[in-house]
Amino acid sequence: MIPVWHFLAVGAILFGIGLVGFLTRRNLITVFLCAEMMMQGVVLNLVAFSRYHGNMGGQVFALFIITVAACEAGLALALFLTVYRRNRSLDSEDWQAVREAGLPPAVDVEPLPPAEPEPDYPTLPPAGAKPAEEEPARV
Amino acid sequence: MTSFAVTDLNPVGQIAAAALLGTAGLFVLLPKPRGRSVAAGLFLCLAAAVAAGLFVLSTFGRPSADVVGQVLFWLFAAGAVGFGVVLVAQRNPARGAIAFAFVILSTCGLFLLLAAPFLMAATLIIYAGAIIVTFLFVLMLSRTEGPSDENDRTREPLLGSLAGFAFAGLVLFALYLSSPASASDGAPRPLPAPPVTDADRADLAAAADALEKAAQASDAKDLGRLAREARLRLGAVVGYAPGETPPPGGDGPPRPTVQERLQPARTDARTWTVIDQADKLRDRAKDVSDRLDNNLLGANPNLDAVRQDLNSLREDTVLLYGRGELPARNVSAVGFALYSEHLLAVEMAGTLLLVATIGAVAIAHRRREGVA
Repeated sequence: MIPVWHFLAVGAILFGIGLVGFLTRRNLITVFLCAEMMMQGVVLNLVAFSRYHGNMGGQVFALFIITVAACEAGLALALFLTVYRRNRSLDSEDWQAVREAGLPPAVDVEPLPPAEPEPDYPTLPPAGAKPAEEEPARV
Repeated sequence: MTSFAVTDLNPVGQIAAAALLGTAGLFVLLPKPRGRSVAAGLFLCLAAAVAAGLFVLSTFGRPSADVVGQVLFWLFAAGAVGFGVVLVAQRNPARGAIAFAFVILSTCGLFLLLAAPFLMAATLIIYAGAIIVTFLFVLMLSRTEGPSDENDRTREPLLGSLAGFAFAGLVLFALYLSSPASASDGAPRPLPAPPVTDADRADLAAAADALEKAAQASDAKDLGRLAREARLRLGAVVGYAPGETPPPGGDGPPRPTVQERLQPARTDARTWTVIDQADKLRDRAKDVSDRLDNNLLGANPNLDAVRQDLNSLREDTVLLYGRGELPARNVSAVGFALYSEHLLAVEMAGTLLLVATIGAVAIAHRRREGVA
């Protein structure tokens, strides 16, 4: 008999970690990836029970979940593109104007760290320009 | 050091330790402008993983009977959880997407351990192949330079981590309550018992083995001895037919037979079929052994007919052994279930995909001035 509890435990932990990311992260794409990870935890439960009961129903449900997740990903990415065109940012806090009435706005107090200086990449001279000095002929 | 302290705790303490350590670890790891420490966060998360692993091991036992299965399970479980933490704590969303691809790979390994190869292939192709690549495209279209609000800040990191890990801890506690480790005698089991237990399986496998050897035996004496042994093993699992005298050594079965055990749960349709199958196997074993005895006692025994009988009895034994398991042909079984029981749902899923495609095109479409 397979021990179903191990797989259920892994699914629960995946769901919990995904929930942390879903609640705390502010980049919409990361939030969406965390939601997908929660869904993987649920699918793991379905497949484990499918094995435990010797019944294909769980695997069929898992297939439908994958289908719906694919639809969801397509729609969500289209929405993200629209949001990015409008705001030039994917921050979910940009949308706090639509929060519930009577709640105080969230304000970022801590300043962001300064941007790291751009590394000194080598550059090529523009094509067709005359070299500054004559190179000595090499033999 | 943490692991030694955690082994002494009871399961509830182990769950609480894992949840608290995980909360602290993820709180330290989550991106924030000041006070983020990757080393301390990783150490706390590792301690939480060790505590959770010890809880699972001590409460539910080993995940698999063989070493290979255990190694694979722990490898894939650790991969899924570890890359999940990387996804949540990673500042760069592109690296987060790659970590999510590894989470998918690890769960696909777990699907393989759960005997779902078709689902593994489908998940790999759709998630790791299609969805992740689409995400990376959008990330490239919308990348930001340097530190930004959305990547370097989090909302309520402490409360968020606490909520997630409290939820996971509660689910683990519910699993502990439903597991055999916490079951007291006489309490109803929340999960249904398997129709054929491990002890039954062992006897059925030994019976099938003895029958196979008996069918290959060249000597009538060997054949009779092996067939008697198989009959003893079968009698221990499915009992003896009325009017049948158990062979010597077979009086008093060591445990209730399959039929006796399943009789109280006769309301389930699956249980009837198992009881019927066990009854048929019992009657068939009696027929075969009667004919075998008659044949072997005769002047010149017809061994070929006996072998045929033994082989067909072995097939029935193996069929009962496989009760409660998934069918071997996974793809055809999934296809049959999809297109026989869930045909309407398949059609609806197709319609949903079409609508989602049209909707995505309509949303992402760039509208020009003066054009509707």
